[in-house]
Amino acid sequence: MTVALPEQRFPGRILPVTLPAGPGGSPVTVGGQNALPCTPEGERPNLPAVGMEVRTGAEELPPSLRSAIGELAADPVSLARRCVSEWGARFLFLDLSLCHPDSGGRSVADGAALAREVLDAVPAPVIVGGCGDEEVDARLFPAVAEAAPRPVFLSYAEEKNYRLLAGAALAYGHGLVSWSPIDINMAKQINLLLADLGFPADRVIMDPLTGGLGYGLEYTCSIVERIRLSGLQGDAMLARPVLCHLGDAWKAREASDASETSWGDADRRGRRWEETTGLACLAAGADLLVCRHPGNVARLSGAAWR
Amino acid sequence: MALTALEIYKLLPKTNCKDCGFPTCLAFAMQMAAGKATVELCPHASEEAKETLGSAAAPPLPKVTIGTGRDEVILGDETVLFRHEKTFYHPTAIAVSVSDDLPPDAFGERLRAIRALSFERVGQRIGVDLVALRCGSGDPVAYAKAAAAALEATGLPLVLLAPPGPLAAAADAVEGSRPLLAPPAADLGAAAKMAAERKLPLRVRADGIGGLYDALRAARAAGAKELVADPAPGDSRGAVEGSVQIRRLAILSRNRDLACPTAFDLGEPFPEPFGTAALLIPKYGSLLVLDTADPADILPLLTLRQNVFTDPQRPIQVEPGVYAVGNVTSSSPVLITTNFSLTYFTVRGDVEASRVPAYLLIADVDGMSVLTAWAAGKFTGESIAKMLSGCGIGEKVGHRTLILPGMVARLSGRIEELSSWRVLVGPQESSAIPPYLRRLPPAAFLPANA
Ligand code: B12
Ligand code: SF4
Repeated sequence: MTVALPEQRFPGRILPVTLPAGPGGSPVTVGGQNALPCTPEGERPNLPAVGMEVRTGAEELPPSLRSAIGELAADPVSLARRCVSEWGARFLFLDLSLCHPDSGGRSVADGAALAREVLDAVPAPVIVGGCGDEEVDARLFPAVAEAAPRPVFLSYAEEKNYRLLAGAALAYGHGLVSWSPIDINMAKQINLLLADLGFPADRVIMDPLTGGLGYGLEYTCSIVERIRLSGLQGDAMLARPVLCHLGDAWKAREASDASETSWGDADRRGRRWEETTGLACLAAGADLLVCRHPGNVARLSGAAWR
Repeated sequence: MALTALEIYKLLPKTNCKDCGFPTCLAFAMQMAAGKATVELCPHASEEAKETLGSAAAPPLPKVTIGTGRDEVILGDETVLFRHEKTFYHPTAIAVSVSDDLPPDAFGERLRAIRALSFERVGQRIGVDLVALRCGSGDPVAYAKAAAAALEATGLPLVLLAPPGPLAAAADAVEGSRPLLAPPAADLGAAAKMAAERKLPLRVRADGIGGLYDALRAARAAGAKELVADPAPGDSRGAVEGSVQIRRLAILSRNRDLACPTAFDLGEPFPEPFGTAALLIPKYGSLLVLDTADPADILPLLTLRQNVFTDPQRPIQVEPGVYAVGNVTSSSPVLITTNFSLTYFTVRGDVEASRVPAYLLIADVDGMSVLTAWAAGKFTGESIAKMLSGCGIGEKVGHRTLILPGMVARLSGRIEELSSWRVLVGPQESSAIPPYLRRLPPAAFLPANA
């Protein structure tokens, strides 16, 4: 018997956004779909893309990451190369925490120079993240914007700093990640503020803050679903690709604690913690995932059929 | 879809006789539309009205129960597609498999491993719900014996994955425990009769939605009532799309023929079982059978399930109040945190690990984390000062020193202004509490000299 299957058709469509690549690299385009994830109907010209984070500050790695990328932790340029050529990352998220006073405190000029080095070393698209210190980032982003030899995305613009970031990005042709703390109204607001400044919509991706598995992930999943539904229903300010950065998954005790043997091998558990976080985000509608474990690039990409 | 109050009203007698306990038919209709009353309360409703209103009130996705008593597992009985619309009610059940043809030692060992897959997380017990017994032997006697042993060793309800002969033998061996009968697709007829006779739930497996439509009808025709649908996918994508389609048929199309909880056997040779399970937990899978009993696999899946099935209106929270940790005395340190379970259990665990007896003040912030509650204006100098004077801690300890979470150090001035307490700013991360408490000078907790 053939059964008439329900379809959810929507008037809206997610704006396609391209993360540009360097010479010889492949740009990443996401968005363009007019349907919900995990459904067969509608058009989805671009599948979700999985990238990797390259961290630069001093930090103690959880066992799972220590065994996978520990030897490269002090060498971001080599790590960046391996992420792309060996592990299949389609883009990189370069985190400049080395400039944070608590994790190295290197100068803004050093940060910008490192960004430049990574951009020269790999042709893949790059999102450049700040160090998390408000005052340092206010100097760091303009320096990176100027030093970058090719267009990147700057992460992230929020209510406090969007003028500064939009100015820097506009002056040098970069894109922006618009950030909000798990709140659909704030997510919309920051996109509106950027639009009011005349920032091109097709150079914005949204980061609604990703809580790690067991530590707020459900709030993120629901916000991503609501953002996606609103966007498809026609709210242009929310009809944008969504990025989920899985970094918080590694902050969970369960992802790193090797002393709790009844939880199983810490190496495998850490990798699974990040993978599970990423899969839940994909199911909710994420278009871009940033992971840290090399093995998770292929695993998450394999589930990015929707 | 659910009917509006006006649509319901049109079906009622409109005499306002009050026999239902509501002042008017319309008032009653409004309560029904809100899901707070059912048509049975109106003794005068026509048969037609009862039929229409009764089925509109029935859950769009029927409920199926497996097992009995404390370890009963409920599948289905869901009403929405997205958790923010209301909530998801019945967590995806996780079954871990064992085969009846394992050597006795390995069989017992495997059951112990399954039983151990139970963890305490933010004050809730999360664990594997069922044992899925595969029939490798093909022998009814061996299979029945294994079923009894599995039930005995774990206490968990069973999913019996077996052809009719062994299935019947095992169902007898564990009679009264309400296992789920899960025959191969080809043996549906015989198993459906068995399910009907014994009043047991039945997993119906058939290729795709079309195949399921026919198979579910056949099972119902044979008298089986509580059905669980398995669209027999070959890969992850097939599983997730099948699951989504069945849920949408139930919720959006109100298709009664296909509205069933779902089951997916992700055991060998299913590709990518772990990733598929992680997608099926948010995407409507009702029951998953897994071959892995590795806690490093199971704990993340159980945690995801706990997250997804938390009521979005009500974070998991604990009772606010004064909690004593260890053998407290009047000079024990006093720490404050919020009543979000995640926060409370994290902090409590670290205070316990310090082995320093202490009082924990749990502030009522509607189940929010420290920073969220602060940002929401619920964890403030005012609210903390009020708690200090109202909760009775002043009678329990002689000192007036409060340890504040490092993340909200900025509140200390206001607290000291509004109360007679002095504030010590603790570490930002609670994991730093043990060394912090051990290093505190006891002088800080001597009786206040005032
Ligand atoms: C999930 C989440 C939410 C959830 C709510 C979760 C909940 N039930 O509380 C939702 C989505 C509803 C939410 C809402 C808001 N949130 Co919010 N949220 C988060 C998130 C992602 C995780 C919070 C969490 O669960 N933490 C885990 C718990 C265990 O942490 P904790 O309670 O702080 O406890 C730790 C420490 O404080 C310490 N500790 C705790 N107690 C004690 C006691 C002592 C004595 C000591 C020594 C230590 C200690 O130990 C714990 C473990 O280390 C954080 C970002 C983040 N990654 O932290 C933002 C965050 C807390 N939210 C924020 C904001 C701004 C908000 C909103 C105002 C805006 C919004 N998003 O709508 C609202 C406010 C609520 C409202 N008006 O309704 C901000 C706060 C900004 C700031 N720096 O103050 C944060 C930091 C995000 C950000 N970076 O901007 N949020
Ligand atoms: S009992 Fe029936 S007829 Fe009487 S008021 Fe209630 S709904 Fe109306």
